[in-house]
Amino acid sequence: MIAECARETEIVEAVGFGRWPGQCPELVAHATSCEVCADLVEVARALHGDREALCREAQPPAAGMVWWRATIRARAEMARTATQPISVLQGIAGACIVGAAAGLATVAWQSMRWVDRIGELAVQLESRRADIASASTFAAAHGLPILLAVAAGLVLAPLALYITLADD
Amino acid sequence: MRDMTISELEQIGAGADVIASEDTFRMDEDAFRLFYERTARPVWAYLSRMSGDARLADDLLQEAYYRFLRANVTHESDAHRRNYLFRIATNLVKDLRRRPRENDAPVTGDGEPMDHADPQSADVANGAVRRLDLARSMSRLKPRERDLLWLAYAQGSSHKEIAETLGLKTASIKLLLFRARRRLAGLLREGGR
Repeated sequence: MIAECARETEIVEAVGFGRWPGQCPELVAHATSCEVCADLVEVARALHGDREALCREAQPPAAGMVWWRATIRARAEMARTATQPISVLQGIAGACIVGAAAGLATVAWQSMRWVDRIGELAVQLESRRADIASASTFAAAHGLPILLAVAAGLVLAPLALYITLADD
Repeated sequence: MRDMTISELEQIGAGADVIASEDTFRMDEDAFRLFYERTARPVWAYLSRMSGDARLADDLLQEAYYRFLRANVTHESDAHRRNYLFRIATNLVKDLRRRPRENDAPVTGDGEPMDHADPQSADVANGAVRRLDLARSMSRLKPRERDLLWLAYAQGSSHKEIAETLGLKTASIKLLLFRARRRLAGLLREGGR
């Protein structure tokens, strides 16, 4: 339950405008007999006095300094925000390169197995040297590009990772 | 994401004075200076008392004005602008209370610059004792009670303004304020012990 007094506002104003207690003897007399106002006077005077003292002691930085710091910080944040999409794109590009390299490696691996199968075929066709020679020629012709693709992937993947992570 | 280097910040800063007022903040520098001169000390006093740390209040003051400028909000009046700044300050102190601090000492005000008091002056000494009592008493209140009492009786804000600043309903301010006031008055009579 709230205990109220009709003179609370007057007291707060008197304290706030520095009229308490000298310029309002009637209010002072009232506060001695009113419990609500006595509490109010106690609290309002303490807080108002504390604020006045703190405001006197305060040594805030100059307005120009606060403005300048805020400006620098705002510009830095704007620059950082502007570079975010670039970093994201770099990340996507890096991921694409790594994915492509992995795909090439898979194709190369399957091709190698295919070369193995050719080798097995060559064993089966041991009796026919002419066929072995043609199979070996075929493997040599197609194996080189595949091996080159794998090597390129191995070189490009770390490079892509480096470019992606360099900004972070 | 990496932090910007000092040279990068200097480069940004070199052109900042020219460009910033046009595209960074809605408020121009002259208007800001006027507003700052009127509000910096009361806001610092509020931050200092609510955080219980005068040095921390310096940092919070800078942060409060930065957030105020970056918000780019159009205010219908100076009072509205001031209330908005106090709301930012209140939120900063709330964030601070949520964070564990390195020196997690209770808010006693012992670190306040009370040494300025002349020990030969009885009035000044009494004033210093009263302030110390207040600081101790305030530290025993709930954070919201401290905010309410300061805004109402130190800052002189209306119930509506307090409600806006603290994000409470205007109708509830009267009761909350009454309870907080009664509690603080009791603590002050005990001498803040």
